[in-house]
Amino acid sequence: MRRARAVHARDVAVVLFACTCALVACHSGGEVVVYTSVDDVFARPVAERFQRETGVTVRLVPDTEETKSAGLLNRLIAEKARPQADVFWSGDPVRAAILKSKGISAAYRSPAAAGLPIQFSDADAYWTGFSARARVLVYNTRVVPPDEVPSSVLDLTDGRFRARACLANPLFGTTSMHAAALFVALGDERARAFFEGFVKNRGRLVSSNGEVRRRVASGECAVGLTDTDDAAVARREGKPIGVVYPDADGMGTLVVPNCAVLVAGAPHPEVARRFIDYLLSPQTERQLADSEAAQMPLRPGVPVPPGVTPIDSLRPLEVSYAALGTKLEELSQGYLKTWVDATLAGASQ
Amino acid sequence: MVSVMFLEQPGRWRVITTGALLALIALPVLPLGWAAVDVPTAEVGQAFWQGLATSARIAVVGAVLGLAIGLPVGVGTALAPFPGRRVLLAAIGLPLVAPSFLWAIGWSTLAAHHAIAQAFTTGVSGCVLIAATTTTALVVFASYAATLELSRSQIDAALLSGSEGAVLRRACRNAVLPAGFAAVLGGVMTLSDPGAGQILGAHTAAAEIMTAFAVRYDIALAATQCLILAAIVAAIALPLAWIAGPRLAEAVLARQLAPPPRRGRSTTSLMVASMASMYVLLIVAPPIVGLFVPLVRGGGSGSIGVPALGPAADDHLELVLLGALATAARTALNTMIYAAGAAALAVLVGSAIALAVGRNSSLRTWAMTVGIVVFSWPSFAGALGVARVATAAPSLLDVLLRSRFTVCAVLASHFVPVATAFALRAAGTIAPSWTYAAAIHGVTLPRYLRMVLWPAVRPSVSLAFALVALLASADAGSVLLLHPPGEASLPLAIFTVMANAPEVAVASLCLIYLLVTVAILAAVVGLGVEHET
Repeated sequence: MRRARAVHARDVAVVLFACTCALVACHSGGEVVVYTSVDDVFARPVAERFQRETGVTVRLVPDTEETKSAGLLNRLIAEKARPQADVFWSGDPVRAAILKSKGISAAYRSPAAAGLPIQFSDADAYWTGFSARARVLVYNTRVVPPDEVPSSVLDLTDGRFRARACLANPLFGTTSMHAAALFVALGDERARAFFEGFVKNRGRLVSSNGEVRRRVASGECAVGLTDTDDAAVARREGKPIGVVYPDADGMGTLVVPNCAVLVAGAPHPEVARRFIDYLLSPQTERQLADSEAAQMPLRPGVPVPPGVTPIDSLRPLEVSYAALGTKLEELSQGYLKTWVDATLAGASQ
Repeated sequence: MVSVMFLEQPGRWRVITTGALLALIALPVLPLGWAAVDVPTAEVGQAFWQGLATSARIAVVGAVLGLAIGLPVGVGTALAPFPGRRVLLAAIGLPLVAPSFLWAIGWSTLAAHHAIAQAFTTGVSGCVLIAATTTTALVVFASYAATLELSRSQIDAALLSGSEGAVLRRACRNAVLPAGFAAVLGGVMTLSDPGAGQILGAHTAAAEIMTAFAVRYDIALAATQCLILAAIVAAIALPLAWIAGPRLAEAVLARQLAPPPRRGRSTTSLMVASMASMYVLLIVAPPIVGLFVPLVRGGGSGSIGVPALGPAADDHLELVLLGALATAARTALNTMIYAAGAAALAVLVGSAIALAVGRNSSLRTWAMTVGIVVFSWPSFAGALGVARVATAAPSLLDVLLRSRFTVCAVLASHFVPVATAFALRAAGTIAPSWTYAAAIHGVTLPRYLRMVLWPAVRPSVSLAFALVALLASADAGSVLLLHPPGEASLPLAIFTVMANAPEVAVASLCLIYLLVTVAILAAVVGLGVEHET
């Protein structure tokens, strides 16, 4: 009898627990919602620090590596009528520019932006740039001899890297931004020649910058194009990776600043502004520079740790980020889409 | 007051209720048809068709390998006991309850450190390996269950007419149809799985659908692609479900038979034990070992000629491990909510279906057939359908369409067939004489349900709950598509960071998830043993 009661009590407890789970599942909070295309491992510590310091819960929505930037951009466009996000913390300025053109972002001139270089921000304050990465060439130091180290992005089409160069899908992430920058900087004809040359050189199209890092680190590829944070992760893991800031003597290296964007019609606008202020603060730049992301502070006076390249030492590729946004939209539905489809089709045969 | 006899009486209400409940579990997928109207099939993109061809190749080869390995192992373990049989079976079943991308990460990490593994663990061959692992588990359990259906007299007759070989041949002939069906089901499930392909570098149809939605947020395109995939799946699964449905419907009924005699230690049991052990050692264990490799090697201290960044290697490893634990702690509640919530809803609906079906054999067949088709559909099809509705619905409906409850409900709809099978099995153990006796003695329906029915079905329901919870927690795709901001589960957190976080961090997260899965699987096995005894 006692055992039957115990069993019955256990059954009731289990049922109550299960029902509670289903009911709790209906609960939703009203904190600041941040969509971010910055890698979760780098963005989350910043969000958690804000949470600790202010007591405001940050609901961070990261994107997967494969869909980086583009996924959240399109989600914000789809949710325009009823946004869920308060802030979009973009890993590049091109998506921020596209959001402005579609009326999805709101202007916010943050007081914390004082001191940040204006060339990395929108003139109308629809997005503000801070902490940057750069597009770099990575090569395997065990496979590439010193006299064959690449110096330009165009070296990916060079015969010495035949079948050993890799590139992330140019429809997504910072690679898409870089593709648009090549079209703007080199002109359509030379840029197409680069992409056609990459295929002719049997270059490998992979899913993400992280995949480029892995393949170069393992020696499966000799050289690849990725971001400074991916290169930093590989170096920290002890991989035989060398890093080159490409085209220092040519068109320049593409600098990719983070961007803070206030979403128009945000459910929690006041808290959203506080979060943007926090993102743009010197402390956040310092935190991102000290982290494994090894991001370059844009604000003068923020200490640059060893192993992080100061922004002043680079020769940036001079482009209008707004122009890149327009070009990217055109390429994503046109040449680049066709190129990617054809390259993937060729690879699977 | 409703009489207890209501449970035994036929009536139109059974057909209506069963139909309504089966329609309910298919409901999340319906909006896809509406969204797909805008995108003709011809515009789904060349990349999708290429991905579909690749997925089909992976599925077919995986199914063939799974059948070849799983059938003898399943039949052999049912007939010939050996020490550690249950542990080996649990190990073989592990790939079914853990997400495929976990195994892909394990193989990928192993291949990064050992060149010999690279040849067969990348690209399409790597995806075939993982597909075969899942399919083998399904085939083993299907063959095992089919063999247990054989009665003692059938085995004795086979033994009298020949040797142990004759017994094995008879058992294999009996199991080949369920095993074949399980192999096809495994292949079909592979078609809908985007995880492995994304990690191992194979371009699959499911990955293309995820790209259409998660990158382009083109729900219409993703809906059309998903419907094409679901149509192909249905075209394969429906005829098989129609053939296998009646047999499965009969199999779920409890029968009082003398079970087949377990042969003592013999050549057969030695061979089966060796085969099962080799399979676990060579196929199931290596990716788990791969997850340990980054932890053993530590965080690294910088490449040749380049100064190390940040703290020393040991401190770095400790920091990464703490970070992984923090991620696990942060996502633990959501993981439990989604798993338990989905399981609770699935068991509730599955039990309702079993109650409505009663002893009607044709309704039971329909329930099993529709259940097989629903289970075969891409697991994220329902999530896509609901996401389509959520973006257009008023904010009043957010609690139903944009909450954690939404995730639980959509996950549950996919796994209701599993709960239904267990519920039908449990309902089959209730003799009609119990109901008659209760009616004669004036026992009320609620009292009968509480004092008679519930204790009898509780073991099966508990087993179903645990199994659905495990399966639901492994479905990262649906959670990715539907979770409210900031409410990710642990498998989703792994899926999000697997491509860009340090190896050590990803490996740590995978191991934490695997440990919890193994613990729950052990509890499920224990529940199963308790149920048997």
